[in-house]
Amino acid sequence: MFEQLGTAILDLLQLKFLVPLVIGTFVGVVGGALPGVTITMTIIVVLPFTFGLDPLQGLAAMTGVYVGGSAGGLVTAVLLGIPGTPSAIATTFDGYTMRRNGEPGRALWLGIWASCFGGLLGGVFLIATTGPLAAIALEFGPWEFFALFIFALSMVVGLTEDSLLKGLLAGTFGLLVTTFGSDPIMSVPRFTFGTEFLRGGFDFLPVLIGIFAFAQIMTELEKMHGGSGSGGARAATPNLKIAQLKVIGEILARPVLLLWSTAVGLLIGVLPAIGGSAASVMAYDQAKKISRRPERFGTGIPEGIIASESSNNANVGGSLVTIMAFGIPGDAVTAVMLGAMTIHGIQSGPLFMVQEAKLAYGIFAAYLLAHPIMIIVMALGARFFLRVVTVPKSALVPIVLVLCTVGAYALKNTIDNVWVLALFGVFGYALVKLKFPLAPVILGLILGDQIEVNLVRALMNDPNPLLFVTRPISALLLGLSVASVLFSLWQRRRQAARLAALPETAPDF
Amino acid sequence: MTKLVLAAAALAILASGSAMAAYPERPVKVIVPWAAGGDTDNIFRPFVLPLQKALGQTVVIANIGGASGTVGAREAKNSPPDGYTLYVVHDYIHLTYYTGVADVNYSDFEPICSVSSTPSVLTASAKTKWKSLKELIDDAKANPGTVSVGATLGSTSHFFPALIEKAANVKFKYVSYDGLAQRMNAILGGHIDLTDGNLTQKGKVDAGQLRFLAIATEKRAPELPDVPTLKESGYDIEYAVTRGLLAPKGTPDDILGKLDMACSEAVKDPAFAASMKAQGTDVKYLGRKEYGEFLRKNDEINKSMAKELGLLKR
Amino acid sequence: MRGFVRPRLTGDAVAGLVAVSVSVWLFFVAGDLPQSALVPIGPGFYPRLVLGATALAGAALVLRAFLVGSGAPAAGPAPNYRLVLVAFVLFGLYVTLLPLLGFRIATFLFVAAMQSAIDPPRTRRALLVVTLVALGTTAVTYLVFERYLYVLLPRGTWTDF
Repeated sequence: MFEQLGTAILDLLQLKFLVPLVIGTFVGVVGGALPGVTITMTIIVVLPFTFGLDPLQGLAAMTGVYVGGSAGGLVTAVLLGIPGTPSAIATTFDGYTMRRNGEPGRALWLGIWASCFGGLLGGVFLIATTGPLAAIALEFGPWEFFALFIFALSMVVGLTEDSLLKGLLAGTFGLLVTTFGSDPIMSVPRFTFGTEFLRGGFDFLPVLIGIFAFAQIMTELEKMHGGSGSGGARAATPNLKIAQLKVIGEILARPVLLLWSTAVGLLIGVLPAIGGSAASVMAYDQAKKISRRPERFGTGIPEGIIASESSNNANVGGSLVTIMAFGIPGDAVTAVMLGAMTIHGIQSGPLFMVQEAKLAYGIFAAYLLAHPIMIIVMALGARFFLRVVTVPKSALVPIVLVLCTVGAYALKNTIDNVWVLALFGVFGYALVKLKFPLAPVILGLILGDQIEVNLVRALMNDPNPLLFVTRPISALLLGLSVASVLFSLWQRRRQAARLAALPETAPDF
Repeated sequence: MTKLVLAAAALAILASGSAMAAYPERPVKVIVPWAAGGDTDNIFRPFVLPLQKALGQTVVIANIGGASGTVGAREAKNSPPDGYTLYVVHDYIHLTYYTGVADVNYSDFEPICSVSSTPSVLTASAKTKWKSLKELIDDAKANPGTVSVGATLGSTSHFFPALIEKAANVKFKYVSYDGLAQRMNAILGGHIDLTDGNLTQKGKVDAGQLRFLAIATEKRAPELPDVPTLKESGYDIEYAVTRGLLAPKGTPDDILGKLDMACSEAVKDPAFAASMKAQGTDVKYLGRKEYGEFLRKNDEINKSMAKELGLLKR
Repeated sequence: MRGFVRPRLTGDAVAGLVAVSVSVWLFFVAGDLPQSALVPIGPGFYPRLVLGATALAGAALVLRAFLVGSGAPAAGPAPNYRLVLVAFVLFGLYVTLLPLLGFRIATFLFVAAMQSAIDPPRTRRALLVVTLVALGTTAVTYLVFERYLYVLLPRGTWTDF
């Protein structure tokens, strides 16, 4: 197995494969870093260029885009507080805070190295355990998926700073948004009030960008006072020199966190139906749960960045295996990857790994090699990326908003989605002002349709609702959901008790 | 440096607005009413490459998914009839109209050409005990309403098994699974028993994870010599999904002619043919007239099917 | 500070009230949705489940806000809400004008206006910078998306540009 991988890596080091891989990774990083340009879109753009190449060349390019894009999203998340791609959502929590605390270089490189380690670890682990993992994934019927999504939501509800209640409410807001538009089973228009605008519902991407971009930009703007802002907004050029070894050391000093986040990313990747965005948020929550100082999350600590970034790159590996072994995409990105494979004449399925071992291991090798290449691309680009910090707010704000607008428009080539962007911009800003956490909203948005569809499927298959608690995996996951909420409650009480023991730091009510 | 970039940019902005030439003078948008990476998207992405060569202009795919493909349909219907917005359809357009999901039908558009045809293959999970169509039908007769079928309700994957249901006089249980990929996940895990598949799933059949019970073509497919046709099993059913290009109603005749010409050249492209073969799909070119005739007939067939199945809402 | 917390309309209470009223309203709207014979639960079932949860959580939030009050008021200088409002209005105008003026003209105007709103140009040099940034943003996004990413950006129905 690892011999085959070794030969595949050596093969891939030939110029004819290396060139598309490097170009793909570079394009991916750029696409991932631009807010509004998704990995999906970047892959679609690269796809036609690969039609003329042989399958492995084409897939190497696209694997590069996928890996590069997953890492590229963190650049925007760290520097602007807006996830460049949905999978970098959780990176904004601590990454952007760390950059505001004056350490943009450290935040950026923590993310980059965590992506690399998460991806590589995930890759190696995957190649060894593809079979059993995939077999578990197949056991998931509608009941299990429903329970899994409830579990995911319960985790994030517990993530909230302010109160569990507001986390819960934020989660239902997200779920509620997905109920607008045609219903996912029979396309009955729901809450559309006869308008065309609402027929298609709210697309995830413009909603996500709207909430994050405006929440971020508007809270920046409200701190500015007249023209004097220009002087203050022009920050000094950040210190570009950061000790790479020190950052690597920071990550490797937390092996449990790294392994655990990688495992979460892998598992979410192997399971179809939820993608990198859920993985990063869930890993972040897990990291907070296992931490001895959970209250420090969100204040710009390395753990938050490591959890999010290592999991989302490990997720890429997991998804790749699922599409190769079963031909089942986890999200829009993997759907396009799978489409690309189909167009290149690859019949995915378990036999693919055996009959086309060369190609399968070639893809693994491309995945592994894309990580060091990504590091090099980032190292060359970091100087330019960090410049963003020094651009005056007056110029940066409109530019970012234009990019978001184009991204929302490009999704379906309709102006409707730009209105969705604006609408949820207002909504997102209101949420931030009212101190609602954003993560549960986002997860609710990601999972809303899936929860409904699987609920309906389960009942169409068998009208007995008790199956949700009598099927073992489903029961286990639902049990874990309850446990997860209880654990958060307990953690919060313990935290409050500890704060009470230190009266001088207790907040004044 | 900055100045140079700006000057070049300003020039480019001006230049792109002032070209005066015959159709097509600017990029053509093709609306695919489903997400990127789906069956239809996979067929049309390789197709637009030879198409843009033949047209001499960039052709861009816009994926406008949502609400069983009806969001894209409405968008296409409301686009200006100038030949710069085209629309990809398959049989779903008749079905969503007659089942009342959408108020857009094929007659809101001008036919350009058909491109491909994908025959349906009745596919069973390897976790079921049926080795042949007969065993399935016997079992379904003995236990009505227990055989579960994954399908996009009210679309082609629902109608194909429904035709078998009617022909064999059995009763299936439908579970909503939108899109082939989701159905494959469920059928591999044994969460559904049957589904409407196609030749792209041959790899899984060879691996023993799925079983092809019957193919809905006139003759057996050369790739699947062992899979019987429904006809030879005594059910007079042929079912294939035909995909083609339409333009909004009122698009000028000469533009439609140009597009059809380009289409007829593009389908001959060897790379496109190879890609279709890899996807278990036949290249099926019909010109403007023939495709229009095909759509008209198909519409009647679909209407009567919807009626027989009790889904007709118009 | 100790003792009785005077009930007041805090942010939490407002948010909770909005959540409750919107979800109760939608709960009734969802009741009218037609059900299909093929599906055991109608299209209104799941939304009502979520709406019910929203209403309950919202009510609990209102209750808590009145009983406990919410956290301490934020310290620091008063937020500049005027600028936020201006930014939202400008963006709204931009989206409205986008299909009318076309991407290139609308974007140029929006970027120029937004810069001026955040940091009004007082010198000729500043004015030049504003113009150049607006022109550059428009040109680069247009070229990159239209030419290389094959996204056909909106053309103006008024200007055909």
